[in-house]
Amino acid sequence: MDIDKLTVLAVSESGFIFDPVTGHSYTANATGLKILELLKADKNEDEIKSAIMDEFDASDDEVTVDIQDFIENLKKYFLV
Amino acid sequence: MKLTVAVSGINTVDNPGPGFGICRALRESGLEVRTIGLAYDALEPGIYLDHIIDKSYIMPYPSGSKEAFIERIRDIHEKENLDVIISALDAELPIYMDIEPVLAEMGIKMLIPTKEMFRLRDKLRLKELSEKIGVKAPEYISCTSLGDLHKATEKLGFPCMIKGPFYEAFKANSIGEAEGYFVKIAAAWGYPIIVQKFIEGDEYDVIGCGDGKGGDMGVFAIRKMTITKLGKVWNAVSIRNDKLVSAAKDVVKGLSWRGGFEFEVLVEDKTQDIYVLEINPRFPAWVYFPAGCGINLPERMVRMLTGQKYDTHSDYNSGKLMIRYVNELVKDISDFEQVSTFGESKEVKK
Repeated sequence: MDIDKLTVLAVSESGFIFDPVTGHSYTANATGLKILELLKADKNEDEIKSAIMDEFDASDDEVTVDIQDFIENLKKYFLV
Repeated sequence: MKLTVAVSGINTVDNPGPGFGICRALRESGLEVRTIGLAYDALEPGIYLDHIIDKSYIMPYPSGSKEAFIERIRDIHEKENLDVIISALDAELPIYMDIEPVLAEMGIKMLIPTKEMFRLRDKLRLKELSEKIGVKAPEYISCTSLGDLHKATEKLGFPCMIKGPFYEAFKANSIGEAEGYFVKIAAAWGYPIIVQKFIEGDEYDVIGCGDGKGGDMGVFAIRKMTITKLGKVWNAVSIRNDKLVSAAKDVVKGLSWRGGFEFEVLVEDKTQDIYVLEINPRFPAWVYFPAGCGINLPERMVRMLTGQKYDTHSDYNSGKLMIRYVNELVKDISDFEQVSTFGESKEVKK
């Protein structure tokens, strides 16, 4: 996964994300922000899943779906 | 050194001219400047915005006699001792291109495109422009009849863009829609109508100013967040996009662009390829936005024309937001009387 575009995103604690290259803005919830932070740190899906399960009270299946959904959204917005 | 700068396009209406933004940028610059508005109608709002524009004069229409146009400027020059004129309307640029040497003899300086640059930026010559500057252009076909429209849509497919010669553009998904937009635009703006291949992506603008020798005085890029029905930007955000900035600088270099410009492009979502849509041969109406972010292009232009040092950097922050708004002024009918009867506004003491 090419994460170059993610590294330039300006991410606020509120969940507001601004792309300074395209001018687009997005919002993400706490889980999304955490996934984004881990993706930016070049973590793989297993590492992300483990970190999310440690931080949030959710099942393996739920976290797997959340991560896949989030990555699909990033692809949809041409961010990865 | 106090300078007197005359600026046209002070019609801050729903299709706003750039003049008021230029004057505001000059007013907030490091220059000591007297601003003169050049209007074509006694109700152009800039005439009455005298906290920014010191005095305004009514001009004869640029489509009329060249001699009358020169005489009016000579008359204003005698009263105001103009140093610089910044032309901000496409329709008057041809006459200024013709009379620039006469104005230079009077001591009035301008930085405007040459006739060749002006010709190239015509919407109908997009392909020629694209080849010259090395930036892709969307495929398009110029139409003057419904028969042409049918042939064009057969070739380009749906969806496609139906665009007017001056303003308005619609996305058509079927021949029925295309015909509807074609007739609507033709009734409002005349022919030719441009049928353009639809490219999925976002529209961006870059403002800049060329020194006429291939150098630029800085550039500033935005993404349009909302536009009006006429396609005019209403809200925008500043962006830092190296590819876009580089393309704009290539335009300035490739054409040795002279004067202000607005480079309108579309960036394709999938490929991130840049497509040129248009080059406007003057500052756009949002010229104050970059000035407010540290890239004061009218100031740089005036400094260059008057032999002063000027900045050329493009150092600004992304994520700055431009919010355009409407406002009302309350004036007296005698203000209108003054302008419509004498062709110039009253001097307001400050």
